[in-house]
Amino acid sequence: MMNEPWGKAGPAVAARQVTKTYANGVRAVRSVDLEVPPGEIRAVVGENGAGKSTLMKMFYGLEQPSAGAILVGGRPRVLRGPASAIALGVGMVHQNLMLVPSFTVAQNVVLGVEPGRRGLVDPKAAVERTARLAEESGLTVDPRARVEEVSVGMRQRTEILKALHRKARVLILDEPTAVLTPQETEDLFAAVRRLRDGGMTVLFISHKLREVREISDKVSVMRAGSLVGTVATADATERSLASMMVGRDLSLDVERSPARPTETTLRVRCLGYEAATGQWLHGLDFDVAAGEIVGVAGIEGNGQSELAEILAGLRRPSTGTVHLDGTDTAGLDVAGHRRAGIGYVPEDRLYNGAALDASIADNLVVDRHDRPPLARRGVLYPGAVRAHAEELIGEYAIRTPDPSVPVRALSGGNLQKVIVARELSAGPRLLIASQVTRGVDIGAMRFMYERLVAARDAGAAVLLISADLTELLGLSDRLLVLKDGRLVARFDDTTGLTEKRVGLYMLGVEEHGRDRLTVGLDTLTAGPEDPGETT
Amino acid sequence: MSSVLDVVLSSAFLAAVLRIATPYLLAAFGGLVAERAGISNIALEGQMLSAACTGALVAGYSGSVALGAVSGVAVATLLGVLLAALRLELGADAIIAGIGLNLLASGGTAYAVYSLLDDKGGTSGLKSGSLPSITLPGVENVPVLGDALSGQNLVTWLAFLAAPFVAWLFYRTRFGFHLRAVGEMPDAAESVGIAVRRVQYTGLALSGALAGLAGVFLSMGYVSFFVRDMTAGRGFIALAAVFLGGLRPWGVFLAALGFGAAEALAVQLGTLDVPPQLVSTIPYVMTLVALALYAWRRKRRGRAVPAAASL
Amino acid sequence: MTTTAMTAIETEDRRQYRATRRRDFAVDLSMALATILAALVIGFLVMLATGNDPVRAYEVMLTGPLERSFRVGRWLEDATTLTLLGLSVAIPFRARQISLGAESQVYAGALAAATVAIFVPLPPVVAVIVPMAAAAAAGAGMGLVPGAMKARLGANEIVATLMLNAIVVRVYDYLVNGPLKESGSSAVHSKSIQQDSALTPLSDWFGVPLGRANIGFGVMLLTAAALWLLITRTPLGYRIRMTGANPDFAAYGGIRVPRVIEWSFVIGGAVAGLAGAHLVQGVYGRLEPGLAGSLAFEGIVVALLARNNPLVVVIAGLFYSYLRAGGDIMEQQTDVGTEIVVVIQAVIVLLVTAQALPNLLKRRIARRQVGVR
Repeated sequence: MMNEPWGKAGPAVAARQVTKTYANGVRAVRSVDLEVPPGEIRAVVGENGAGKSTLMKMFYGLEQPSAGAILVGGRPRVLRGPASAIALGVGMVHQNLMLVPSFTVAQNVVLGVEPGRRGLVDPKAAVERTARLAEESGLTVDPRARVEEVSVGMRQRTEILKALHRKARVLILDEPTAVLTPQETEDLFAAVRRLRDGGMTVLFISHKLREVREISDKVSVMRAGSLVGTVATADATERSLASMMVGRDLSLDVERSPARPTETTLRVRCLGYEAATGQWLHGLDFDVAAGEIVGVAGIEGNGQSELAEILAGLRRPSTGTVHLDGTDTAGLDVAGHRRAGIGYVPEDRLYNGAALDASIADNLVVDRHDRPPLARRGVLYPGAVRAHAEELIGEYAIRTPDPSVPVRALSGGNLQKVIVARELSAGPRLLIASQVTRGVDIGAMRFMYERLVAARDAGAAVLLISADLTELLGLSDRLLVLKDGRLVARFDDTTGLTEKRVGLYMLGVEEHGRDRLTVGLDTLTAGPEDPGETT
Repeated sequence: MSSVLDVVLSSAFLAAVLRIATPYLLAAFGGLVAERAGISNIALEGQMLSAACTGALVAGYSGSVALGAVSGVAVATLLGVLLAALRLELGADAIIAGIGLNLLASGGTAYAVYSLLDDKGGTSGLKSGSLPSITLPGVENVPVLGDALSGQNLVTWLAFLAAPFVAWLFYRTRFGFHLRAVGEMPDAAESVGIAVRRVQYTGLALSGALAGLAGVFLSMGYVSFFVRDMTAGRGFIALAAVFLGGLRPWGVFLAALGFGAAEALAVQLGTLDVPPQLVSTIPYVMTLVALALYAWRRKRRGRAVPAAASL
Repeated sequence: MTTTAMTAIETEDRRQYRATRRRDFAVDLSMALATILAALVIGFLVMLATGNDPVRAYEVMLTGPLERSFRVGRWLEDATTLTLLGLSVAIPFRARQISLGAESQVYAGALAAATVAIFVPLPPVVAVIVPMAAAAAAGAGMGLVPGAMKARLGANEIVATLMLNAIVVRVYDYLVNGPLKESGSSAVHSKSIQQDSALTPLSDWFGVPLGRANIGFGVMLLTAAALWLLITRTPLGYRIRMTGANPDFAAYGGIRVPRVIEWSFVIGGAVAGLAGAHLVQGVYGRLEPGLAGSLAFEGIVVALLARNNPLVVVIAGLFYSYLRAGGDIMEQQTDVGTEIVVVIQAVIVLLVTAQALPNLLKRRIARRQVGVR
């Protein structure tokens, strides 16, 4: 591949008075000036919607600036698409990885610039090149494995190798650690530092201020489309960065009184799950009482999704029992689970949390469209559906001009409010909240936290599943840790518990004994021996 | 029963299978290429029909069979490109646009034939000729197979070469590599600088060309004139073969060949005092059962439905 | 921010939103008219290019169907079948099921209606209703096969419905040529249905000759209204809409998606079955080969034109049948083949499915208005 010549001096990449206005009138980026010298790791931080992703897309040619200039290698460039950015030595690893699942790692690495002659692909050369690049950079991969069968960490390394194979001199990493284990994050950081020492310029996009402080040389902060400032990482604290991001000192500490748990609401015994694909679960035993928030920690993909979906009735367990207020949920369908009092905020709201082209009003009634006051004797009353929506829009401060607006038009935070409004307004006995603040802004995040605590105080049992340890430690009254589909730790008191300590259990370095995991639980067999049920 | 066996084992029957399977094979590979490029080509039927009509008309008026065949394939190719343009430039639903193109082909060919020849039925009044048959030297000496193979139309040979060609294209060439990436993960392909639209346009053009070859065979090989709506649902059967073959070249080859064999069998059994309409349902019943069994097996294995097929 | 300021902003937002909605509706309506006009212009050019007189052809085509009362009858009779078939696919389409099975359903319905109406002696009124019910049941059964295959097994419904069409059409052909053929008749058709089973001709009511148009037209209007109520005013309709919008969301919300998919196929099948009953009891009075012609596929076009809204399907069906009726008259009175109508229809489909066109227009108008301010 021929890289176009770079200027001798000057920044590796720069933006000069760059503005981006979308066709719908939204101004995502406003007059941004940014310069990144060669060989630097530059973090770009900001809330969701602050414009950092849009700015990066302009560096990678996926978007074109409405005004201003993008400079690569010291010269203004017109990037009509990723192809021209790649030709200039810019590589990007996207947040949702851009790999072809049925292709092998090597095929993905060479995709677009395949070795071979006269329109043919040389598969052997692809594997050799990938292996060589992997060895040189310290990014370990199995070139012959299919991408759909390898871990998320390896997929991400594949993405970086892809950029290296294209002789990238600037590497843009968009929220690269969101799906990684702490160990994988460490390895990634080591590799990134090695690349930097070899002259690579790295743009590192993140929410996670702790990681930003660990990896970057300098930090640029964006807010509402503008660049607020750039500081040397050594001079920045998490608190000072956070205040730059939101414009005021905002603490995410949630005020909550100690929990007053009452009787057991959710009772899970010997729960097992086997699947052809996906994570298995092995013999889970735990209780959640009314009036407490129980957090579930764990690196993503260790069975959290499966657990949540089993409890919500979307999957059937292979073994074991689940009781809600003494009722066995086996044999109930999803609607039956909901009738029994289970609410569920799903981890991926775009996948199954909402129907994007349906109205807000329709999205708010999916679990109650067939009963009073919305429907009587087989007739659904649109006026009642609308009134119901208007009430919840007011109560949950959903920003919208009208209930008939399709939810596709809402921001991430507003859409999540619609989902939380639906699930909480059903008055659940058990609320399963999965990744409830993922991709929402800090204001909405705070709102969600307050609502979860309020639901707890109103007597609901809350099972909080999250990849964000700060969130879990801030909200949970008790904490469980899942690893490889097993419960490996249980903390009945979360005061004084540190992220580092929980991390040791998440990584499998430490493990609680079975006695500690099951202390205080009643019968541990899966049968219906529960005295409350036989009478 | 023995008479059925006699029929099936005869070289005449094998020859009929090869002949009848030809349009299915070509159209099915056309459907496969489009499906793997990420755009369902339900307009196979219309592309075949347009090619059959254009081929017969051009050959009839110009006196050149070759020119007719080339124009037929060219028209079908253009229809493939048009489908891609409707999908990619104007945001049309590929299925609905395909239905529209089929309608356009059905009405357009009938209107053209009526305008030019004042005949509602077809071009049987116009002498247009057939594409040449090919006999490989020495092939007639091979027992059974030799008689079946000798004298087959040029297009039949091409149809059987299409399977290795498409397999080679998909798995060995840079274009096939890009085509599969585009169909499976368009974002990923775009992010590495592959011109996604160009690949899809090329794929749909190739898809149309293959369907066009199938159409040209119908009016210039199978018979030597165009009949109104002569494709008679073959494009849809070919689409069924694409899914039945699991979106893989050799699977599609077997499925399309199976349809050809079943239809040939129906024709042969029709001579044995069984109602021909009932016999001719056999391939469709088989497809329906196979479709159910295939779906049931896939469901038991817990595998996800391929993206393009789920719709 | 004070409360009053907040309210002011919200009122402003709401006003703007309503204005946008009104404008979008106006654009949609004018786009629909522009689409039809564009298709007619293309038809004009095609006729011109093929050496015909397009002005005369259009004159005959667009005024012909209204010139004599029996032509009006011909139009209404055709519109009844076509609209019922359009309605029959609009329901599964609403659940985002690409059912192309109206053909198998209409023939199954025709067979069921004819079998009852020919062979089962029934008292008046009941003799009309029972064959129609049998036709609806047969159509529903034909819908259930691909519906259950899709819902329970995940089998591709496009392929399944196309295969079923091919099978049923051949079985129908066999029955009309064989067991059900009227003995002693040289032409191929069944015996006539009993007098009591015939749908009352509209001529009896209006006192003018209206050809074979019959009270099936009223049945069609009632069916459309019922389906509109089903979609907008019942829990099942809500479930169908949500299944179409996002099946994973529907399942998560407790909706049994497979059952909803089956229902959408069954309801659609029943309506297509009614179309078969209309053909037998109202139009032909017996089974004839190829009785539904290409109407089943054209029903899909009607549903698409109407964006699957049952009430709009009626308008689209009437419009479309008008073109068909006009095309036939045009062919009789001029040299232009009636197939030009199919070409015009195809162009309409292609323009309607080009969804980016109206959006482009809306965005351009919106930008201009922003610019004006």
